[in-house]
Amino acid sequence: MEDIARDILIRASQGDMQAFEDVYKASSSFVYNVAFRIINNREDALEVAQEVFMIIYHKLKGFRFESSFKTWAYRITANCAMNYAKKSSRTKTVPYEDSYGEGAVVNEARTRMDQEHQSQLIEDLLAELNCDQRACVVLRNIQGLSYQEIAQALNININTVRSRLKRSREKLLSLREVSPSFLKRGLGGVHEKV
Amino acid sequence: MKKCDYFKDLILTDYIDGELDKNVAGSLERHLLDCSDCRAFFKEVKNNAAMPFQQVLRQPVPAGLWDTIKQNIEHENQASGPIADLIDKLKGLIVFPRLVPVFASLILMLLAGAVTFNTIQIQQARDKAQGEYLVSTLGSTGSLALADNSGLGTPIEHYFL
Repeated sequence: MEDIARDILIRASQGDMQAFEDVYKASSSFVYNVAFRIINNREDALEVAQEVFMIIYHKLKGFRFESSFKTWAYRITANCAMNYAKKSSRTKTVPYEDSYGEGAVVNEARTRMDQEHQSQLIEDLLAELNCDQRACVVLRNIQGLSYQEIAQALNININTVRSRLKRSREKLLSLREVSPSFLKRGLGGVHEKV
Repeated sequence: MKKCDYFKDLILTDYIDGELDKNVAGSLERHLLDCSDCRAFFKEVKNNAAMPFQQVLRQPVPAGLWDTIKQNIEHENQASGPIADLIDKLKGLIVFPRLVPVFASLILMLLAGAVTFNTIQIQQARDKAQGEYLVSTLGSTGSLALADNSGLGTPIEHYFL
């Protein structure tokens, strides 16, 4: 996301709806996607995205430009999504063997290149991580933030970012050991496109 | 083996994310050339724990999100009305200091004032007591002196006079 021009933010903070719409257009994609990946549920992500933009609208008056708008918006989004995920505990966890048992091999092979299927696999993988780990993985691997930016967005120490990413990856590798067929079929398919 | 554990930790985090210092990255890459176990581990991490997420397509923002947000804002603005707007504008004009340090300073000043007042009171009470004691002492010696003065007519004085 490109950082939004200061004058647009100032006008939006003064209640100019056209300017606020510009803010929305520039940031809605990452707000929705970060919320969706952290919560792992589309309907809930939509609800959180609404909440995030209402917070941005109200708090924009107090935004002092001490950090970039991008970092500030990431922080609000990550906080809202993590709070929502922790409160609701609606994040679904798909048991690997049930969903991707041996009987499904043929069908899986046929559809593995399908984007929707890949997206589902990513959702299932993210569901295996806890909320804090998921936020770090989403911000690093999907949004491409640096460790420093993640630390600022989540208001945590950079070493905490590092350790959460390490544990996430160890967990993902351990899933491969638990259910090799899952990752071989699922993520292998994604990897082949690289 | 310890060297491998150290490099594997780096592979899981800084190296795979491109955050590693160039010199350390160089020594890690030299190690990868020699160590097949670490090379296999790097490949595994790259393929299964990092790269899959980078292939994720962005989900399109559902249509109607902006309309809902806009409606919510308009609804709030209507509900709040012109008086609330005026209060908001006034709040923007007047700068309120942070209240916690102000209250803390006020309490400290009150404490300091109370201690000073108490000290003065005690000092005054002491002075008064000392004064009364001196007056009483001087009063008695004064009467003696008067008695002495009135004793100009003592037998010895009479003798010399």
